[in-house]
Amino acid sequence: MFGYLRPESSELKVREYELYKSVYCGLCKSMGRDYGIITRFTLSYDCTLLAMFAIGLKGECSHVRDGRCVFNPVKKCRFCSSEGEGFRFAGAISVIMTYYKLHDTISDSGFFKRTLARSLMGIMKHCYKKAEKAYPEIAKAVGEAMAYQQQAESSDSGIDAASDPTAKLLSWLCESLSEDERQKKILQRLGYFLGRWIYIMDAADDLEKDVKHNSFNPFRKELKDDISETMRYCNEVLNMTAAQLMLAYDLLDLNSYKEILDNVVYYGLSFQQKHCLFDKKTSKKSRKKDKDHYAYLANGEKRS
Amino acid sequence: MNDPYKVLGVSRSASDAEVKKAYRELAKKYHPDKYSDSPLADLASEKMKEVNEAYDQIINERKNGAGSYSSPGASYSSGYSSGQSGYSDPYSGASVYQQIRRMINEGNFGQAEQALSEIPSDGRNAEWYYLMGVVYYRKGFLEDAYNYFQTACRMDSSNVEYQTMFSRIQQQRSGVQNGYNSSSSNQCNACDVCDICACMLCTDCFCNSCR
Repeated sequence: MFGYLRPESSELKVREYELYKSVYCGLCKSMGRDYGIITRFTLSYDCTLLAMFAIGLKGECSHVRDGRCVFNPVKKCRFCSSEGEGFRFAGAISVIMTYYKLHDTISDSGFFKRTLARSLMGIMKHCYKKAEKAYPEIAKAVGEAMAYQQQAESSDSGIDAASDPTAKLLSWLCESLSEDERQKKILQRLGYFLGRWIYIMDAADDLEKDVKHNSFNPFRKELKDDISETMRYCNEVLNMTAAQLMLAYDLLDLNSYKEILDNVVYYGLSFQQKHCLFDKKTSKKSRKKDKDHYAYLANGEKRS
Repeated sequence: MNDPYKVLGVSRSASDAEVKKAYRELAKKYHPDKYSDSPLADLASEKMKEVNEAYDQIINERKNGAGSYSSPGASYSSGYSSGQSGYSDPYSGASVYQQIRRMINEGNFGQAEQALSEIPSDGRNAEWYYLMGVVYYRKGFLEDAYNYFQTACRMDSSNVEYQTMFSRIQQQRSGVQNGYNSSSSNQCNACDVCDICACMLCTDCFCNSCR
């Protein structure tokens, strides 16, 4: 998982932002309990979103309590705790995905990275075994998707075929979140485009790096002289995927977290597209500009 | 049946205007045009029906309860309730394509794709590209679908069915519905409300000086 699916915090209410954080921290805690402290580092925004979908669909009322962060004991945190499947499900996905990602790194990276991945693998293997035992179907589905991915990339096909494995995997994972037939149908479509969006976003984000290292990227064929022209094309592909994603999402019946999930779908996606495709290229410059702008505003207020 | 106020997402004390606004927003959200050619079209039309019924129920309740209280908004509902468009074939004699359209309608995309790929490449007309686009669109292969629709439109530029589909996809790609619209960010040079106000103020100064 890559961490592109996150809410745009400037559009959230403070109460919603705190709720989101409490789910994030709750998932982190739940993973630490189930699979050991090391797996807490594997937590991503994407898995948090999956947990929110899982809990939001069931509508189980999860209570929030206060505690302290393990990594930063000075910081006080609020933890969302839930007895339902949501956290355990998302935690298992995170562990399994990380394990396969390490596998990937070992097989196609340079010496330094490979050695690092090998040593991490030693620790992760035990956690993976635990997750595999709890959710054998997920482990199997992820393993198959990885094999399918390699096959799709080796045949050098277009963007649709390259994103299909990730999309199908997310489609299957989302579908398993509900028992209701109608919801299942919607979740299947929603998951497909979530996976597709994540994959394409990652491909577009890594394009320059992949060109430099001469590794596979589905957008290489579309590469034009001007990088911003290529990014505009990637943005079009992402827009269409996001539009389809929204069509499916609008039909979904959610019992809780609707505001936050709305935010991810309506604002988060577009913000990430803007940020990764257009702003990052000039990030240093724009950050300075932002800084100047804020300084100007602050001074202006003081004077008046 | 569900509580009609809950369906529209408004409170019981909401004014008629608020109810109408909520209804319009939901009707826009679940509009059948947006879901045409999507596998979720039937679910969207169910939602649309639910929203229509809830709106009618609220309006009727209010009309009966408070005499002349309601606004004549009920006529609205009929316009939006059109169902799935379906694939009635406008051509005569194109029996293979008719069959394929039926397959797509029934949801047999694999079969439809198979049948389409069996047609030799010299017999492929605009309709072939359009139907191939529909199959890929439903499968979620959006880029391939886009290219097929584009070819269909180029080959037969007068066909309304192809043009509608293609323009809908182009709208999606531009980021109007969801996603990031990269061209809209460069509008800082355009004339906005502040400019107009500033102009008015300046002109106003001259008016005073004349007196």
